[in-house]
Amino acid sequence: MNPSPDQAVVAAEALTKVYRRAAEDVRALDGVSLTVRRGEFVAIVGPSGAGKTTLLNLLGCMDAPSSGRLWLEGREVQQLNERGRTHLRRERLGFVFQHFGLVPTLTVAENVALPLVFARRTADGRVSRLLEKVGLSSRRNHRPHELSGGEMQRVAIARALVNEPALLLADEPTGNLDSVTGEAVIALLRQLNAEGLTVVVVTHNPALAGAAGRQLRLADGRLAG
Amino acid sequence: MNLVVFACRNLARRPWRTALAFVGLAAAIGTLAVLSALTAGYERELRKELDRSGVQLMLVPLGCPYDAAARVLKGRVLDASLPAEALAQVRRDPAVAAAAPLLLCAQVRTNEDRADLWVGIDESAPALKPWWRVQRGKAWFSSTNGVILGSEVATLEMRAPGDRLYCPGADATFTVDGVLDRSGTSDDSLFFVPLGRAQQLFGQPGRLTAIAIRLRDPALLAEAARRLQAIPGAQVVTTTEVMGVFQNLIGTVRALLSAVAIVAVTVGCLTVLNTLLAAVLERAAELALLRALGASRSQVVLALAVEALLLTSAAALAGLLGAAFGGAWIQDAVRQWIPLAPERLATPLSLPLIGQSILLGVGTGLVAVLYPAVCALRMAPAEATRTA
Repeated sequence: MNPSPDQAVVAAEALTKVYRRAAEDVRALDGVSLTVRRGEFVAIVGPSGAGKTTLLNLLGCMDAPSSGRLWLEGREVQQLNERGRTHLRRERLGFVFQHFGLVPTLTVAENVALPLVFARRTADGRVSRLLEKVGLSSRRNHRPHELSGGEMQRVAIARALVNEPALLLADEPTGNLDSVTGEAVIALLRQLNAEGLTVVVVTHNPALAGAAGRQLRLADGRLAG
Repeated sequence: MNLVVFACRNLARRPWRTALAFVGLAAAIGTLAVLSALTAGYERELRKELDRSGVQLMLVPLGCPYDAAARVLKGRVLDASLPAEALAQVRRDPAVAAAAPLLLCAQVRTNEDRADLWVGIDESAPALKPWWRVQRGKAWFSSTNGVILGSEVATLEMRAPGDRLYCPGADATFTVDGVLDRSGTSDDSLFFVPLGRAQQLFGQPGRLTAIAIRLRDPALLAEAARRLQAIPGAQVVTTTEVMGVFQNLIGTVRALLSAVAIVAVTVGCLTVLNTLLAAVLERAAELALLRALGASRSQVVLALAVEALLLTSAAALAGLLGAAFGGAWIQDAVRQWIPLAPERLATPLSLPLIGQSILLGVGTGLVAVLYPAVCALRMAPAEATRTA
C-alpha cells in the first residue's frame, strides 16, 4: 500500500509494536492498518491499555514500530534515519499532550516559539497571530503556572501549529480539563480542522470523539470494526 | 528566543543550586589564577632583585652555600662567618670589579615580637646597590655612630635624620644620618651601620657574613669562581645558583598550593557536573518533550552545553575579577608560607593567565556536560507522551 500523497497524510500497514517487559513480550499494537486523508478529523478511541498512545507515538515518529510500514505524506518513515524522522516531527507534525508539556521557565510566547528555535526560523509575527487565534494575546508574557488548564492547552495547540504542520496529533487533549474548558478546546480543534488541518486525536472523551469526522476503535492493540 | 535565553532560564530555575556551583567554581578558578600569578611574580621579582644588584658571585662561609647565599640576599643572619682576610683576597682578584663586605646581626625584641636586622657595610656597598636613593638626610654615615634606615623601619621607629636611635641588643645609641627611599627590596626593612662599628658592637670583630662580588666581565665568572673557591673557610655561590635555591625552597610550597588549587577546581567541576546531571534527571520529561517538538539530539546536547558554558565561563570571569580585586589579600595570606618571599609581590593577572583561566572554565563546562549529555541522549521522544 502506497497511497497518493495528495490524498493520504497518514498511511499505515500492519503496524505492530512489541515491548519487552521483564521476560515477557507485550504486544501493544498488533497489525494496525489505517489511512488518514488530508483534511480529516479522526478520533482514536478505546479502553485504557488498548494501544492508543502507542499508535499515536508511531504516527508521530516518536517511536519505531516492531514491524509494519508507515507513510507520512507519501514518505515511508522506516526509510528515514534519526535525523530524517526528527526533521519530519519538526516540520510536518504538531503535537498536543494531555499534560500540556509547556516549559515552565518560558513565557507563553516563548513556549509557542520553541519549535521555531529548533527549526532555526524567526517568528515573523506568527507567534502573535497564533496567540490571537487561540485567544491568548493578553497572556503572551505570562508563565505557564499563571494560566488555567484550558489556557495551557490552548498554548500547547498554538505551539503545535507554529511550524504549519500537515498533521496535528493530540493525546487526550481534554483529559486534564473540566467539561467547559474541554468544550473550548474541542471547538478550537474543530475550527482548525475546518480550516483544512488534518487532526488525529486519542481520547476517552465522547464529546471530542463525537466532534471528529471518523472514529477508529482500538482494543487489545487491534482496530475493531 | 534562542538557546542562550533558554539556557539562562534553566539556570535560573534552581537559583541556589546554580549559585553554589557558580561560587565554588569561581573560587577555585580565582584561587588558581592568584597562585599562578604569585608563582610567576615570585620568580620575576626575585630575578629583578638579583639583576638589579649587579652581583654575580657571593662569597659565604663554609656550610650549605646556597642556603647561606639565599639568607644573605634576603637579609637573614648566618650562624657562621667569614674571616676578614677573605675580603682582601677577593679584592685582589683581577676579575673582581667591586666587592662589598656585609655583616648581618639580628636583634630580637621579644616584647615587640619582632627581630631587627642590622647590617654592617663599608663604602663599597652603594656600588652594588644602584637602587639606593636617599629620601631624607645624608647618603652616607657622618660618624661611626651613624645609622641609615630603610624606609619601612624609619616609619616603624618614627625616626627622621638627626634623631637618636637606641639599639637595646648592642646597648648603643646611634644618630640617624639618612632614610632611604622605598626600593621594594629587603633593604627597606634593614638598619645600616658602618661595618667596623657593627663588628665591634655585635661581638664579631674582623668577621664578615658574606661578600657580594661584581665582576669586570660576566664571562670571567667561571675562572673567578675557581680562584675564589680557594679562599680558606669560604665558598662561592653564583646568583644563578641562588635563584635555583629560591626556586627549590618554594617548590614544595608551590606544589602544595597547586595541589590545593587543582583539588578546588576538580571539586568545582564535580559541582557543575552534579548541577547539570540533577538538572537533566529532573527535566527528563522536558528534554523528551524538546525531542518530540523537533529538537535534534545535537540541539538537546547544545542546549545543555550552552547552559554549562554560560555557568562555567561566568564563574571563570567572576573568579578572575575576584583574583584581580582580592588577589593581594590572598597573596598576603599565602606569602607567610613561602620562604624568603620578595618584599613586593606585584602580580597582576597577565593576558595569558586570563586566557588560561577562561579556557579552564570552558573546559570544565565541556567536561561536566559530557555525562549529563549522554543521559539526555538516551531519552526517547515518546517519553513526552507519558510524562509531558
